[in-house]
Amino acid sequence: MREPILMPSLSDTMETGHLIDWLKQPGDAVKKGEAIAEVETDKAVMDVEAFYDGYLAGPLAAADTDIPVGVVIGYIVDSLGAEKATEKQEKQEKQKVDKAPLAKAADVGIKAPPPAVQTSTEAPAQAAKAPASAKPMATDMTSSKHIPASPYARGLARELGIDLARLTAGPDGSIRSVQVVSAALGRVEPNLSDGPDYELHPLTPMQKAIANNMMAAATTPTFRVSARFPLAPLIALAHEEGYSLTLLLARACALTVEAHPRFNAVLTPQGLAQRQQVDVGIAVDVPNGLVTPVLRDVARRPVEELAGNWNTLKERATGKQHSQRLTPQDYRGATFYLSNLGMFSSVVHFDAVVPAGAVAILAVAAIQDGLVEFTLSCDHRVVYGADAARFMETLALLLGDPTGLDAAPTSGAA
Amino acid sequence: MAEQVFYWQALNRALDAEMAVDDSVVVLGEDVGLYGGSYRVTEGLHAKYGEWRLRDMPISEGSFTGLGVGAAMVGLRPVVEIMTINFALLALDAIINMAAKIPFMSGGQFSMPLVVRMPGGVAKQLAAQHSQRLEQTLMNVPGLRIAVPATPQDAYWQLRQAINSDEPIVLLEHELLYFSKGELDESRQAPPMHRAQVCRQGGDLTIVTYSRMCDLALQAATQLAETGIEAEVIDLRSLRPIDWDSCVVSLEKTHRLLIVEEDSGFSGAGAEIAAGLAERCFLIMDAPPRRVAGRELPIAYNAALEAASIPRVTDVVSAAQQLCNP
Amino acid sequence: MESGLLKKMLRDMLLARAFEERAAQEYAQGNIAGFLHLYPGEEAVGVGVLHAAEPADYVVSTYREHVHALVRGVPARMVMAELFGRKTGCSGGLGGSMHLFDRERRFMGGYAIVGETFPIAIGIGYAIAMRELPEAVICFFGDGAVNQGTFHESLNMAALWKLPVLFVCENNHYQIGTEIHRHSAVAEVYKRACGYRIPARRVNGMDVLAVHRATEEALAQIRAGNGPQFIECETYRFRGHSMADPGSYRPKVELQAYESTEDPVKIAIAETVTAYPTAEQIAAVGSDNIASLTGSLRSGGHFPPEHLDAMQAEIAAEVEAAVHFASESPEPTLADAQAALDCNRQGEVLV
Repeated sequence: MREPILMPSLSDTMETGHLIDWLKQPGDAVKKGEAIAEVETDKAVMDVEAFYDGYLAGPLAAADTDIPVGVVIGYIVDSLGAEKATEKQEKQEKQKVDKAPLAKAADVGIKAPPPAVQTSTEAPAQAAKAPASAKPMATDMTSSKHIPASPYARGLARELGIDLARLTAGPDGSIRSVQVVSAALGRVEPNLSDGPDYELHPLTPMQKAIANNMMAAATTPTFRVSARFPLAPLIALAHEEGYSLTLLLARACALTVEAHPRFNAVLTPQGLAQRQQVDVGIAVDVPNGLVTPVLRDVARRPVEELAGNWNTLKERATGKQHSQRLTPQDYRGATFYLSNLGMFSSVVHFDAVVPAGAVAILAVAAIQDGLVEFTLSCDHRVVYGADAARFMETLALLLGDPTGLDAAPTSGAA
Repeated sequence: MAEQVFYWQALNRALDAEMAVDDSVVVLGEDVGLYGGSYRVTEGLHAKYGEWRLRDMPISEGSFTGLGVGAAMVGLRPVVEIMTINFALLALDAIINMAAKIPFMSGGQFSMPLVVRMPGGVAKQLAAQHSQRLEQTLMNVPGLRIAVPATPQDAYWQLRQAINSDEPIVLLEHELLYFSKGELDESRQAPPMHRAQVCRQGGDLTIVTYSRMCDLALQAATQLAETGIEAEVIDLRSLRPIDWDSCVVSLEKTHRLLIVEEDSGFSGAGAEIAAGLAERCFLIMDAPPRRVAGRELPIAYNAALEAASIPRVTDVVSAAQQLCNP
Repeated sequence: MESGLLKKMLRDMLLARAFEERAAQEYAQGNIAGFLHLYPGEEAVGVGVLHAAEPADYVVSTYREHVHALVRGVPARMVMAELFGRKTGCSGGLGGSMHLFDRERRFMGGYAIVGETFPIAIGIGYAIAMRELPEAVICFFGDGAVNQGTFHESLNMAALWKLPVLFVCENNHYQIGTEIHRHSAVAEVYKRACGYRIPARRVNGMDVLAVHRATEEALAQIRAGNGPQFIECETYRFRGHSMADPGSYRPKVELQAYESTEDPVKIAIAETVTAYPTAEQIAAVGSDNIASLTGSLRSGGHFPPEHLDAMQAEIAAEVEAAVHFASESPEPTLADAQAALDCNRQGEVLV
């Protein structure tokens, strides 16, 4: 056994981790679950855990360096002898991998398995054998040689198992990485050479960020649960107290999440990260885009204070002045999201995409015959159908009698 | 302590600093002495160090550059200033046949602590004979090193490093940069002379450039950012050797290469950069490397034609857009 | 002229002749390749000039420089090994026949681009003058080089700053195949130096004593701080420009006349060896030189003919040993070549 230790992904926004130091030396025995290294993320200093019993083996990544998520930082072997025998070979392969062009698949928005993971001693042989053992594939590979494609696209296609012949070339007649990535995500790139002339408007950075985030989210296995509740009591309360309806909805969500803590947990390769506070991301419509400022600790703080926060965030989200715009800190880190299209009276139903790093998003449509349709989209890896149903029940109770919403919650509210 | 200085001042300070600590440093060139240098680079130094240390040369580029070679062979550290690179064509025998080859063909007996500084590039309506760069001519010479400082800080660092080096080094300066201002911190630790510098980070394409075109590339990058394209801009700083590693690291991120050079593209510096990076990065390229270069024309006197003969910001922007959205 | 010096000069001339003839032989056998420019006929110039120089003086030479290097003291085996392209050559086998260098002996190189010796020489002269050292630079060049721009540029600078440079023109009357009257408007080369106010003289380059005397006088002027000096040595090469050149552009009678009457080696022998010339010798030398020759014989050293034979045998053995050394020496490797190029890297690692 020679299992790679990867730089773990320890937060939703983490792209690289700073390896502070190793807590074990090569040759040290390690137990599954034991901390073997310390990593600083953009959020905190965390331990890297061993996933296997065995011995720590090199080559180890250097301490005090920044390392992308998913890159091999060391190995766990089941015996010390094996470590020595393979180290040299490993080194050579590591060099190859370091230079391997395809290690960067992640930066075009997909979570392809980092090639470093395949740094087992058999990997090159397997790769060489693959076309021969799968005959139809072999012919595809041959035919795809005549398809104009960038070397990078070709490499990505091979890595992701995509047949270039099935792809539609870009406007210049050749296949680039974007077509391969689209295909990998099951999306077909529109063929612009068919149809009328067009004008190309490059994406703004915000549009691009949204597109990237949505692509990242597209791999989340999602299910949706819808329910209809009367919203009149909440609307009445909003009028009475002078709060925005969205704010009160967020509060209701937060209290519900508190009652169902699974809706405040995020899946990481290491397991479920259970958040200790309910932050709610709220979708805000802005010209040419969409932002989701995050309201912090929505279940616990006084509504009046939240209202102040919310107004500031909204202003900054739509603000023109650069100095006043939202900073990344303002729109990162939420586990639960809310999207309210209730102001568009014709919207009877919609559902929303669970952002990467979140567990669920609640979509709120407009009132129809006294009832509003709520649709909860959930990450099925974290919560299940009945969880969502129970969530909706709790929410329905809160919305039916919202008088407790603006009161400071008791410590036993959860 | 950082301060804002002109590019020529940075060079002047580098010379002054080296001449003060090492009396084998001599400056040879036309009008470098009493006159103070046609771009003021040697201003004030003649009075300070005397005529043997700063010698006004007759108009004999071939011989006074060769004089620098001979002097370097016996332990002086000459800094030869050729008034403009255009005159350096007369000195190519000294630079290529002598300076670059003597260390080699003597079997390593003689080092060559020679610096040849030359302003070049397209300035303002100087016409065909005074508007060229010629870096490609010098790049093809094993044994030479070529530095192309784009900022006062680099001009200061690289001239001092060149004087301290025992290798023959050509400093290609740009005539339009002498009166550009930039930050200079004389106390800062210099990076290796040949190390490329990432001037701007971006993930969509890599613009590799040098000398005055860096500024152009950065302006283009700012405009590109408004259209959603984030360009990484690399200032090579050195054309021989080229810091391939820095470029490769960038291309692993961006997968697209755009080269911006002021000189004509055919068989130019950009051709070497494109070939070198294609060899190293072919499999990660998502598009063919692209060059924005000067036209295949001698430079015209007419201002509009002159401006149209070399890369403009819009050329860089549109090339980058085509590269990213084929 | 003291006899010790005379004997030394004679020995160098004999060595020069024997070495070059052997080089031609090795070239024909394929042991030496490329361009090979030989010196027979011109020995009196190199020997006369360099025996008047001090060890601290610098020598800058052309592509016809084997003899300059030998006279300067570079061992024959190192010169021969360089011609063979071996690692033990004085330029590590990287320079070859045209690029002999010996830093230790201040032999600053053979240069194969006509006219390159001038700027190198004034550069060294500049460093000497700036440091006020009692040294001089000897700059060799041929009659073909005086039409190159660097000749005029460099003479101008040498005179302007009074640089300690001795310009020595080895005028063999041919720039490869073009006779001097067909390449120079002013065929008296020394007169050109007057244009730069450099004291110049013309000497018989076939007469080692004349060359030596002129050089001594010129170097004395230079060391007195009077700036550059110029000597034109009229000489003649017995072979073609290089091994590839049959020299067929020259009238046979011209070559024969020089070989029979002006051979500098014969003249040096006659000047050194204590013997009366034969009637044939006197007849062959011709009337012009009789006075000087007999004068030298009377005042010359005592060097019996059997000593000459011993000297020639010793030289033959030396040349033989040089060839043996060269052929047994290893070839330089690519790593040696890289190391030579990187000799001026200060331990810096490049990308």
